[in-house]
Amino acid sequence: MAASETIGEELLRRGISRRALLKYGAYLASLMALPPLQARAMADALAAARRQSVIWLSFQECTGCTESLTRSFGPTLEDLIFNMISLDYHETLQAVSGEAAEQARLAAMRENAGKYVLVVDGSVSTRDGGVYSAVAGKTNLQVLEETAAGAMALISVGTCAAFGGIPHAHPNPTGAVPVSAIIKDKPLINISGCPPIPEAMAGTIAYLITFGRLPDLDQLRRPKSFFGDTIHDRCYRRPFYDKGMFAKSFDDEGARKGWCLYELGCKGPVTYNACATLKWNGGTSFPIQSGHGCLGCSEPDFWDKGSFYRPLSATTAHPARTVGAAAATGIAVGALGAALARRAKHRALTGGEKS
Amino acid sequence: MTNPEPDAIDRDLIEGLLRELAGHLHALAEHDLTGAIDLRSLPLTDVQLDGLRERLGRGEVSASFDVAGRSEVWETRYPGIWWIRHYDGLETVVVERIEITAVPEILRAGHADLAAAAANLRRELAVVEQDYRAEVGSHGGI
Repeated sequence: MAASETIGEELLRRGISRRALLKYGAYLASLMALPPLQARAMADALAAARRQSVIWLSFQECTGCTESLTRSFGPTLEDLIFNMISLDYHETLQAVSGEAAEQARLAAMRENAGKYVLVVDGSVSTRDGGVYSAVAGKTNLQVLEETAAGAMALISVGTCAAFGGIPHAHPNPTGAVPVSAIIKDKPLINISGCPPIPEAMAGTIAYLITFGRLPDLDQLRRPKSFFGDTIHDRCYRRPFYDKGMFAKSFDDEGARKGWCLYELGCKGPVTYNACATLKWNGGTSFPIQSGHGCLGCSEPDFWDKGSFYRPLSATTAHPARTVGAAAATGIAVGALGAALARRAKHRALTGGEKS
Repeated sequence: MTNPEPDAIDRDLIEGLLRELAGHLHALAEHDLTGAIDLRSLPLTDVQLDGLRERLGRGEVSASFDVAGRSEVWETRYPGIWWIRHYDGLETVVVERIEITAVPEILRAGHADLAAAAANLRRELAVVEQDYRAEVGSHGGI
């Protein structure tokens, strides 16, 4: 694809019609809870856009985030997103290695100065000058500062890059910090999760290309379209919480009948993510559906918040009373709240447009 | 976990959506305003979705095509209300929406596609004409 060629021209040259972009626009609108009528405008914007240069840096991480992204969706749609970006540097996915790989990063930085998107997974070691994690003779800290300088925007994928994650957990031997602790003068999006939901990563990148701006973010700089609700808000087990029906152990009657896992330590009520709606493995399931409570992996310091199996209310002075009150309140307001939430969501998602 | 049988709440939700669709249809008929509902963004159970689909039924027109995965589009029993379903390459439903419009945008050929088609056809005809002239020339003319 020529550098001057638009995504629409490139698809046309390959014999792929505008319908593919309309379909992708509809998918993206659905994914990001945008008004459904925006699908057409998004298709037009994508058709006119040029491929986005992306440099992906991996620091103190486990490669789970990359594993997640490369399984974002079915092959044909995946092919579309990878036609929208030019992945100019990614240590795990690129064919070249060694000096040639570093030259590719420097060349992409030079040719797309001020225009490339920098994606980072993994936290940044800062103790002792950041010597605990280095590539090609440079510390992660040096490479981050060097590469971020010419970036249009940064996307921190995974809880390690967004909040420090597991490397940052006590006692944090490497002095790990999130990207936002180092880079403070660039637009930055956090897509947390261990790993993040693949559609959240691909959708956010596609949004940037389509609209040329950041999506609406929450106070932790996460896209509201994926992190606007708690797991608990959208959990299919929520009706059991509302009725005060809780599993008390992983093999009791309540667990077998799919009751709420709140008392088994589920962190769903304080965890913002889209697992309950987008789910995992192509929409197959998510942890709660598999019978285990949410670990809260998309929240800061999730590893240091005590046992994954301690109920949230157990941190208060009167756990039994708190659970009882939560259940009773749930019974009273749950049904009405759910109905109102459905109605509000429905209104937000429908609208009129002159044809 | 299997979904329960449809109950009063399911029926109420479906009726609510139908009333919403009736409003959109009126806006289309009277003011030429199109609308759309993204079904996958609503907290609908499979039972509710199946119930809505059955309630709307199928009308005169249906189409299927394969662009970045298979797609199915059909007009419901109510002209102007279209059910649109897109799959990815693994046959997973990635978009399920209702559009309230005379003809869904995705069924129309785009301007760029029309221009490319016209250029392709002209090019193919030019080749045919060139071959014809070459053939006529080799036989010493008509």
